[in-house]
Amino acid sequence: MAIIEEVKNPVLEVHSLTVVYNKQPAIWNVDFTLPKGQIIGIMGPNGSGKSTLLKAIMGVVDANIGYVKVFDQEIEEVRRKVSYVPQRQSVDWDFPAQVKDVVAMGRFATRGILSRLNAEDKEIVQESLKKVGMEAFANRQIAQLSGGQQQRVFIARALAQRAELYLMDEPFAGVDASTEESIIELLNEMRNHGKTLIVVHHDLYTASDYFDWVVLLNTRLVASGPVAKVFTPEILAEAYGSRLTTLSKVADLLAERRFPMRHK
Amino acid sequence: MDTGAIWIIATASLVAANAAILGSFLIMRKMTMLADAISHAVLPGIVIAYFISGSRASLPVSAGAAVSGILATFLIQTLTKKMKMQEDASIGLSFTFLFAIGVVLISYFGKDIDLDQDCVLYGEIAYVALDVWKINDVSIGPRQFWILVINLIIVVGFVYLFYQRLVLTTFDPAYAASLGISIVFWLYALMGGVSLTTVLSFEAVGAILVVGFFAGLPATAYLLSNNFKQMIFIAVGLGVVASILGYFLAAWVNGSVAGAMSVIVGIEFFVALAVSKLGKFRIQPNHEKVIKPTLGKT
Repeated sequence: MAIIEEVKNPVLEVHSLTVVYNKQPAIWNVDFTLPKGQIIGIMGPNGSGKSTLLKAIMGVVDANIGYVKVFDQEIEEVRRKVSYVPQRQSVDWDFPAQVKDVVAMGRFATRGILSRLNAEDKEIVQESLKKVGMEAFANRQIAQLSGGQQQRVFIARALAQRAELYLMDEPFAGVDASTEESIIELLNEMRNHGKTLIVVHHDLYTASDYFDWVVLLNTRLVASGPVAKVFTPEILAEAYGSRLTTLSKVADLLAERRFPMRHK
Repeated sequence: MDTGAIWIIATASLVAANAAILGSFLIMRKMTMLADAISHAVLPGIVIAYFISGSRASLPVSAGAAVSGILATFLIQTLTKKMKMQEDASIGLSFTFLFAIGVVLISYFGKDIDLDQDCVLYGEIAYVALDVWKINDVSIGPRQFWILVINLIIVVGFVYLFYQRLVLTTFDPAYAASLGISIVFWLYALMGGVSLTTVLSFEAVGAILVVGFFAGLPATAYLLSNNFKQMIFIAVGLGVVASILGYFLAAWVNGSVAGAMSVIVGIEFFVALAVSKLGKFRIQPNHEKVIKPTLGKT
């Protein structure tokens, strides 16, 4: 019934991962492996532990039980190959900085503690901004950006890291439709270059268009597998409880062989 | 203007520069109240170090203060993060508690040591010039001045060398942690600097002016600047101006020098607020007028 598909040579392995906040488990005994070179959606209802899962993988929060392996190694060994995009709302955008300063932070990831940026770094910053369509905004105050532009800046910062694996926390939350479209285009392009992208996402309607693989979470792991196998009415109901109208719609949609539909 | 006045202004300017640099990080971390807390919480450390060493020599006293400052930070962090208390309540509780311990210790040892709360809170900057350092009987200026020069070298060196780490952990701690940077380490490093600055400054200018500099100068600079480096320099500049104008205000009204400097810091803030609201200096966030990104697809 529940589908948890294991993969060979996984890019990421999560074993018995449990994180407890305030005596409440945020994620409980989660086990899965993820394939390389795919766009992977982490989905589940509010408070199902999606963000916590990303933070635990990156070691931003400590796991109470369990461990994570990235590229078959401890995260500490491979941090330079992994890039994390936090939720846009988690920072103060009134910080006095320009767009290029924020993107440049991605370059310090690969540098020693005392280093300064060189010409190559600056070039990579410009290039990263170009990829998200923000090259004209390099000198803009970050306080002046719209939500969609803030998200692009965060993604540009991750691109500047030149990583192999990207973990993105809700990159589509509160962004306009054109930004969402250009972000997914960029993700596809990155996937086609062999990168792996793990994306926390909310919208069930777009999920089957966006993702190759889906991890369904509801504090516990509900399912992990190719999107077509995971998106069945039974499994979705298990993850989301009984909000059936939406779920049956999504299932219908899938039954119609991914009838293309855009929300908003 | 006599040399005494110059030494007083120079000493106050050094305090202002130290506080402005570190305070700029604090304000962006929304931790300015922590500087207030530390400036009071260092008292028990000072008293204990003073009592043990038997002198007002700067080194043991600074060490005592730095320890109690970091202890206060630890106490506040533990109450907030681990015990889930509200941050303002944790700060209010911790610093009054530690300061009160210091007050009790002073009154207990009162007859034996030459130290009082008034000195800690208000300082005695008017007397700075009287306590001079002499090398081979040649005066090289006030002791306080040179101590603060060393303090400034430490603060500037710390911020210059580790600027990227400090900015990254300030702006986006989750991202910094994802890069393997210890948020806790940099927090305590910063708070160690705040403790050091507070204690090296308090004897000259008192805790009140130190807090005024820590909070007021960066808050004013924030209103006037576009990037963080610029903000730090503006904050330092405002501090020097406040020291000069404050001295003359005090001379004019024949009143407290530290008090007058604090008043100038406040006036600077309200002037900057008026200026920035008129939109002349800092470009205000305006989400309506933002240019849309250029995209092939739209």
